[in-house]
Amino acid sequence: MIEVHDLVKKYGQATAVKGISFTAKPGQVTGFLGPNGAGKTTTMRMLTGFLPPTSGQAKVAGYDVFEQSMEVRKRVGYLPESVPLYRDMTALAYLMYMGEIRGVKNRREKGLEVLERVGLKDRATSRIRTLSKGMRQRVGLAQALLHDPEVLILDEPTIGLDPFQVLELREIVRELGRSHTLLFSTHILSEAEQVCDNIIIINHGQITAEGSPSELRANLERGGRVLLRLNVPPQDALDLIQTLPEVATAHVSNANDGIIAEPVNPNTDPRPAIARAVIGKGWDLIELRPLAVNLEEIFLEVTRQQDEVAATEAGAEDDAVESEAVS
Amino acid sequence: MRQIFAVFKRELGLYFRSPVAYAIAFALMLFFGFLFTGNLSEASQRQVPADQINFMPSTLTFLMFLVAPLLTMRLISEETREGTLEVLMTMPIRESQFIIGKFLAVWTYYTVILGLTLVYYQILRTVGIPDSGRALGMYLGAWLYGGATLAITMIWSAVTEDQVVAAFLGAATVLVLYLAEIAASAISNLPNVNPGLGSFIRELGFSAHYEATMLNGVIRAEDILYFVFMIVAALFITTRIVEVRRWRS
Repeated sequence: MIEVHDLVKKYGQATAVKGISFTAKPGQVTGFLGPNGAGKTTTMRMLTGFLPPTSGQAKVAGYDVFEQSMEVRKRVGYLPESVPLYRDMTALAYLMYMGEIRGVKNRREKGLEVLERVGLKDRATSRIRTLSKGMRQRVGLAQALLHDPEVLILDEPTIGLDPFQVLELREIVRELGRSHTLLFSTHILSEAEQVCDNIIIINHGQITAEGSPSELRANLERGGRVLLRLNVPPQDALDLIQTLPEVATAHVSNANDGIIAEPVNPNTDPRPAIARAVIGKGWDLIELRPLAVNLEEIFLEVTRQQDEVAATEAGAEDDAVESEAVS
Repeated sequence: MRQIFAVFKRELGLYFRSPVAYAIAFALMLFFGFLFTGNLSEASQRQVPADQINFMPSTLTFLMFLVAPLLTMRLISEETREGTLEVLMTMPIRESQFIIGKFLAVWTYYTVILGLTLVYYQILRTVGIPDSGRALGMYLGAWLYGGATLAITMIWSAVTEDQVVAAFLGAATVLVLYLAEIAASAISNLPNVNPGLGSFIRELGFSAHYEATMLNGVIRAEDILYFVFMIVAALFITTRIVEVRRWRS
């Protein structure tokens, strides 16, 4: 269980985390989703007791992260983004060292057990420097699992892995989520959609949306925007669509090669009216569907809205993040 | 305690597995060997009694301005730079335990090197009767002196992530403390300066508590306390620096 209430972190003048509140429940995978620099890592560092919060409160496994840091540390397994390891040690020796600091009993057996769990038992006696990036990631994960923690915090665990390793790791994360409180961060939207029971979208240090993947999707579908594609150039049909009483505005979307129409009333579906009008004209209807049905569009929408309001950060940087996130 | 021992064990193991530590030990022993042979042949020509021959701890302590930074420069800076400190600081271990473990490991390694120089004492015993009381004071002093210089140079390893910078700053700090005696006498000779200032600076430095006393077999409680205080203060400062760097990172 992770309970966060109005958590703030300032670095001098800059505020990295601007008062976020959320709850991560046991037996669930909670995903932190946001572009790079959104405040995900800072929040996680505060939850692990590495960074003291500037203000606000966070409880992990029932203990305050600041007042009872040592109790929190005993109950949290943490995998930092850069996966720092001692390269000159073997995987097993590393785990035994970490186990000794944590006071784990039967360190050798326990180390082998977690290595088996992450599928690395056959490399137990390899030096960490000889392991591939994906294997190191799993050694880091094994370290986080070593003491059977109640809470697992994984900071971008799939970054830098090849597609096959990513799939494997997601499977591990999903499985661990059933028995732990698991908080993990990512900037890859499809990953959050696949793995998480609950998604928290965070941008510029604030939570901009929260809910299960299906809730988030339903939220934006309620906006009722639809995409229309015809066998004639979109420009020709635009006038007709705009004059429909059910449609508030419509514009040509070059990216989708069609028309995006916004209804007057978000709760009434404009699709029947549009379909009738198009058929009446004798055009062929190729596609007519609600827009923003995948998380990518929701994410871009939510972060863009906020960016427009804030209008502070450089546009180029966000564009880069978005294109990375989409890919 | 468990945490201190875990850090100590890993770190000490690292010294005995890494070629650098063996290289330092080899270079020192080679140097001592030549020096001792030279001293011994000169002493035998001039018929010097065995108890007046230098049997090396004082050479080792003189070289500590080089050896201590080399031994301690990576202790904390490497863990900061690699990010392994971040992992440790999310585990149930306090900064002080981490630092004490590291310090005890490097001090133990130093003790081993110091112990190796006992071979010259043994050689002297075959040719004469060295002053065992003086040897005791000398070795106790050298042991404490080493601990103090290692603890002080370790501060710089916590201050900077750059090992070379840490080494140079460490060497400079040890030299300043080593040469405090010279500064003190220069200040005492100045007109219109309170003579207390000179002796204060002198007492701050290493020489007044080692070369002047323990090296000649004089064991005084105040000198032992001086070195113990230096070690404790340096470890305390290092702990605070690691804490502050984490809080501001």
